[in-house]
Amino acid sequence: MRIIGSLLVLLFCASVALAQLSPQEQIKKMVDDVLVILNSSAALETKKQQVSGMVQKYLGIHELAKRTLGIYWKQARKDELAKFEQLYIRLLENTYLNRIGDYSGGRVDFLQERIKDDKAILDTLVVNDKMEIPVQYKMVLKEGVWEIYDVNIEGVSLIRSYRSSYSEIVRKNGFDGLFAQMEKKLSEAQLTDQP
Amino acid sequence: MRMIFLSFFVALLFVWSSVAGAAPDDGSSPVAVTDDFDQAFNDDFDEPALILITDPLEIVNRGTFWLNDKLYFYALKPVARVWRVVPRDGRQVVKNFFTNLSSPLRILNAGLQLKPAGVGQALSRFLINSTFGIAGLFDVAGKWGITKVDEDFGQTLGRYGVGSGFYLVLPLLGPSSLRDLGGAVVDDFVLPGNLVDLRLSLAEQVALRGGLAINDLSLDRDSYEKLKRDSLDPYLFLRASYAQYRTAKIQK
Repeated sequence: MRIIGSLLVLLFCASVALAQLSPQEQIKKMVDDVLVILNSSAALETKKQQVSGMVQKYLGIHELAKRTLGIYWKQARKDELAKFEQLYIRLLENTYLNRIGDYSGGRVDFLQERIKDDKAILDTLVVNDKMEIPVQYKMVLKEGVWEIYDVNIEGVSLIRSYRSSYSEIVRKNGFDGLFAQMEKKLSEAQLTDQP
Repeated sequence: MRMIFLSFFVALLFVWSSVAGAAPDDGSSPVAVTDDFDQAFNDDFDEPALILITDPLEIVNRGTFWLNDKLYFYALKPVARVWRVVPRDGRQVVKNFFTNLSSPLRILNAGLQLKPAGVGQALSRFLINSTFGIAGLFDVAGKWGITKVDEDFGQTLGRYGVGSGFYLVLPLLGPSSLRDLGGAVVDDFVLPGNLVDLRLSLAEQVALRGGLAINDLSLDRDSYEKLKRDSLDPYLFLRASYAQYRTAKIQK
């Protein structure tokens, strides 16, 4: 009986160890999961809601926010940071949820996975009938999950472009100016969402 | 033409693979970690100031950007919409034909940068598409996996250490830099690479280029609209992306 018990414990431990996905397995799972939703017959709004919860767990929101603010991350007050992250998540979400309406088929080829300690770079190729776009993910391991913190397309890092724009806005208009601009963008998005 | 291409490209920035389909290539496996791996993570988030390109003419540039925006929505886009009466395949053929005609320019610039592989690739594309592709109407080489080599004189200058200089937004043409504007002038007026230009007067060239820009726009899927929709300040975002895009191209 005790043997069976310890075997069960062993099995349990093994399955926990196995549960951690490699960066590639994880992106593949995310893509597959999202694709099931996109190919379903649900309404656009329903699809958006479903995808929203799914993608967010793979995004290192904190890392993304930190890298987007750059030097201003350290200079900001606690309440400013909290407000920033909250607005930033919503903006980021709008950006990728907007893509759902644009989706028109295609696939992702996985080219190369490089891992060093808690960091990884995953090279993929997004292929559709018209073009092939190399997309590179940079990921960091956080509590057993590889979180995406940058996407690089043909040498252009999304987070660098974000940082360059956001820090310029903070430099010129301060955090209040930035928040006003972010809120304006969010309200615009809401308007266009209405049918 | 450059503006349309760039806005198109920048919109691709937002192509998250999460909204494209999946067909994994299982042949891949983790490979040895290389030096550029560490370099890729060297991108310190708190680096003092992230200046990707200087922009002393920002006020003027923003004015031109505003003008281009209006031109896009009220002139170019409506014309492109009308042009869409021509079936997509037909418009693609037009684009292929003129892209093929400008091949010598890319061969020449790859040569100037001492890239034999690039010369070979651009040259074989030119030969294949000019023959099997019926004078360049069809991109047969592309179907065989020989992709387009993107070289221009701005990149050639960059290759030999010429910095980008300050940022410029050109009327109709869109994002550029001091170096890339100089490069474009050399490409279009000095180098003998663009076969289109050989027999045309300046006015005819301008008309042709305008037409091709409309054609490109008709093939594009609202990239500029997406860029505008998704960025907090489209001017700043495009500037940062342009600078990074050109740097990456020169390093390649």
